[in-house]
Amino acid sequence: MPKCLTCYKWTLDEQDIKIKPEDLSLDSSRAKGKISDFDRNAIEEAALLVEKLGGAVEALTYGTATVKQSLKDALSRGPEKAYWVADASAEQADATVTASVLAAAIRKIGPYDLILLGEGSSDLFNQQTAPRLAALLGLPCLSFVNKLEVEGDVVKATRKLDDSVETVTVKTPVVISVLSEINKPRIPSLKQVLGAAKKPNQELTVAELGLAPEELASKAVRKSVKGFVMQRKNIIFKETAAAANVAKLKESLASIGLD
Amino acid sequence: MNFELTEEQQLIGQSAREFGKEYLDPIAVELDHTGEYPAKIVAKLAGHDFLGLLIPAEVGGAGAGFASYVQVIENLSRSSAAVASIVNNHTIAALAIEQFGSPEQQKHYLPKLAKGETLGALALFESGPTPGVGPDALTAVKHAEGWVLNGKKAYVRNAGVAGVYIVFATADPAVGAKALTAFVVDSKTTGLKIGTPEETMGLKGCPVAEVAFENVVLPETALLGAVNQGQAIAAKLLAIFYVAEAAQTVGIGQAAVEHAAAYAKQRVQFGKPVAVLQAIQTLLAEVATDCHLARLGLQNAALLIEEGKPFEVEAAMIRSFLVRLGSKMLLDTCQVEGGFGYSEFMPLPRLFRDIAGTTLLDAPGDYPDKIIAASIA
Amino acid sequence: MSILTAEQKAIKQAAKEFVAKHIIPVADALDKTCEFHPKVLEAAKESKVFAMAVPKEYGGLDYDALTQALVLEEWGYGCAGIGTTLAASILSMDSVLVAGNDEQKRRYFKPILNSEIGSFGLTEPGAGSDAGAGKTTAIKVGDEYVLNGTKCWITNGGFASVFVIFALTDPAAGMKGLSAFIVERGLPGFTIGTVDHKLGIRSSNTVELLLKDVHIPATNLLGKEGEGMKVAMKTLDMARPAIAALSVGLAQRALDECAKHVMATYTGKNYAGQTLQFKLADMQILVEAARETLHNTMRLRDSGQPFSKESAIAKTFCADVAMQVTTTAVSLMGSYGYTHLGKYMRDSKIMQIYEGTNQIQRLVISRAVLTPAPAPAAAQKAGK
Repeated sequence: MPKCLTCYKWTLDEQDIKIKPEDLSLDSSRAKGKISDFDRNAIEEAALLVEKLGGAVEALTYGTATVKQSLKDALSRGPEKAYWVADASAEQADATVTASVLAAAIRKIGPYDLILLGEGSSDLFNQQTAPRLAALLGLPCLSFVNKLEVEGDVVKATRKLDDSVETVTVKTPVVISVLSEINKPRIPSLKQVLGAAKKPNQELTVAELGLAPEELASKAVRKSVKGFVMQRKNIIFKETAAAANVAKLKESLASIGLD
Repeated sequence: MNFELTEEQQLIGQSAREFGKEYLDPIAVELDHTGEYPAKIVAKLAGHDFLGLLIPAEVGGAGAGFASYVQVIENLSRSSAAVASIVNNHTIAALAIEQFGSPEQQKHYLPKLAKGETLGALALFESGPTPGVGPDALTAVKHAEGWVLNGKKAYVRNAGVAGVYIVFATADPAVGAKALTAFVVDSKTTGLKIGTPEETMGLKGCPVAEVAFENVVLPETALLGAVNQGQAIAAKLLAIFYVAEAAQTVGIGQAAVEHAAAYAKQRVQFGKPVAVLQAIQTLLAEVATDCHLARLGLQNAALLIEEGKPFEVEAAMIRSFLVRLGSKMLLDTCQVEGGFGYSEFMPLPRLFRDIAGTTLLDAPGDYPDKIIAASIA
Repeated sequence: MSILTAEQKAIKQAAKEFVAKHIIPVADALDKTCEFHPKVLEAAKESKVFAMAVPKEYGGLDYDALTQALVLEEWGYGCAGIGTTLAASILSMDSVLVAGNDEQKRRYFKPILNSEIGSFGLTEPGAGSDAGAGKTTAIKVGDEYVLNGTKCWITNGGFASVFVIFALTDPAAGMKGLSAFIVERGLPGFTIGTVDHKLGIRSSNTVELLLKDVHIPATNLLGKEGEGMKVAMKTLDMARPAIAALSVGLAQRALDECAKHVMATYTGKNYAGQTLQFKLADMQILVEAARETLHNTMRLRDSGQPFSKESAIAKTFCADVAMQVTTTAVSLMGSYGYTHLGKYMRDSKIMQIYEGTNQIQRLVISRAVLTPAPAPAAAQKAGK
């Protein structure tokens, strides 16, 4: 009967973000929030484990003030309780900061047998939070997991790596980051959505977690985010002889430094 | 005045959207081709509590409000308005029992309706324009065992697959509509005959057929509400139905404008994507505007329904608005796509055929204008 | 109804009877099965109606524009899909009338006199409203042209005996290098591609034409090389009102069906109230105005006066009227409309799209509006 925790990030839905043509800056004014894609898989995996083995799953999230909008969404997907840390530092937080905050929270609300996260977030996809979190908590970390089995205190996981597939076993407690192929998150039923309102949530402040300002400041500061728009040159080489076209292409490529 | 959806309404809509993408998008075209009632899909809807959305939690429903309901209908309609029609017609029947039924009727039917074990249907309209008036009108005559019904109901949605019909018959043909009386009729009742399926222009997959009553004997306990209360009950249910159908119209319009906009961005004519041409911009802008305003109107009406406030005028207004501008959303988006908007190998023609079925004026008493005018003059 | 001569009335009546006998009884079934049926062509053989636009000297009926419109309105009334078959055939013939020489006319009209049909091949996947963006080529080789390319949404393509195909004789010149050709069915390399399944006019045959190294004699060139765009535009000017005529017939049919239904169901204590009455009146106003606009345009054409702007107005207005009237009909007649009048609404939509979208028509019309009128002659004389 494992006690599980899923950590999730509340991100912007990228399909709502528009690129301003004038300066390629991003207009996120109409973007809605969503639970980061791979984190959804993590929540689902925890919910499935608990349905199979008993136990309980709770959720934890760290974000800016908007993170409160995520609670009912998360609670409609299986967790019994949601913990949340809302702080302005989350705006620029890198994986180090995120891991510090999550670790501090877990030290307060844990311990847990399994801590699940998505392999990377929808927006930054640094893939560092889980390993850093594990290191801070002094726990083993299983990453790139696409299959999970738990029996008692033994966790058996399949890890999909670049050039191989690895099966590992480890004893709980453990931090696990999952790939999207591990499961297909079910659509919350209406009763689950309505039931989310009745589930408890608890705020944790950075002050009560004893986090100093230096721990919340990212070492690398993100100065701007710009969109990438493919600019086609639209040059057509129309010589009758193929060799002439090749020569022209070579010339054109050389003129932009590709020779 | 808060125009924002609550988190719950938002999440419920999100669930419905995900359901639509997952289960309805893959079958919508085939459903339109075969017109075969999608029993498996209806079962899945039941499993997600969509069929019992408005039914109180105590009797097995989700106990959500009407503002959440229209989020579901709009989002389902973005994928398949035909499926949304099945849900709408089922729900209105369930509401009839929930609002006007006796404790026994509620106990007997609501749990089954909530779980989707029984599908509901509304049998109100007839071949003549006014229910209760004319040679084929459904009559209810007092009988030793209760009542005996004779006559026909036309264009009944969910006919043949429903387990229970909410039926309106006139208790006095001389009086006609004012003597309309409502009954809850089990589909297995002797004398109930389902006609051949009607061929509708769209919304295929939601069954439509005549339901004939040949000496259908009903016990007194089948009465829904009081004798002669039928017209008032029908008016209430129709007003709610206007708002429910409006959500379909807006869902279809939303799907259409999204598709047309995406098309316009990539269709190059005269050296540029047609999306930069003012003519196209005007078409898209008008559709997007009408869709947006209609959505606000129907959400406002839905909230009034949820809060138990008077809503009949607002419901009639949204109906009147969409009678004028509903189909226009597809006339214009098809125009944006030109020849592609006319080919059944593309999505818009199906949406064109579907949307016209969501703003039908089925009876003269149905003219929403009367209700609106009466409220101000 | 505008004032018609006795002859026009007789022709209109004959068309009405033909439609009642051969088109109305099969229209719904053909719409359902999406079948083009050559049976109508058979039935029309005796009357030679498919040759109504062919001049007398070539053996045709040589109907003036107004008379053709009267016939097309009746066909549109019966079935807009079958009406499109006739209209599109005439469209292709008009190209030959505009740019063909005597020998070409004789050759093209021969099968038409036998109730076979023609087809107009301009549109391509990348060339819809931008008709000049076509890529089909016709390269001169000796005393032949070799055609390569794809045409799409070509009406009658699967059943036509003769085609007018537009192709680039000078690909580098773009629109200015477009030429018009007669192409006969069955030539090697000339095949029919996908058959489109449409929202409406389902009994009309709409296909892709695939041309792969199709050899045609140089004598099949209509007019001169590079005149293709001019030929196409002049043809469409002439033929556009045919769509207006189909639209008027279609709208009238929808209105008549509504009236029939109302008269049958609003009886006794159920009477049609003002809302319903006035909506029907509005429909009648539109249909009448549409018909008169069309007839006026046809009179202009028959009188030899310029009628380009009026042609665009007629097509736009009549198509818009058909769309409005048929949409109102479906909604107004409720579930009966949704089960019995849907075809008219579906058929109407294409009227606003084909043979030049109503947006293109508005370009033509607005240009005319924004061209300053010449000063009146008297004022000029007075030196003002």
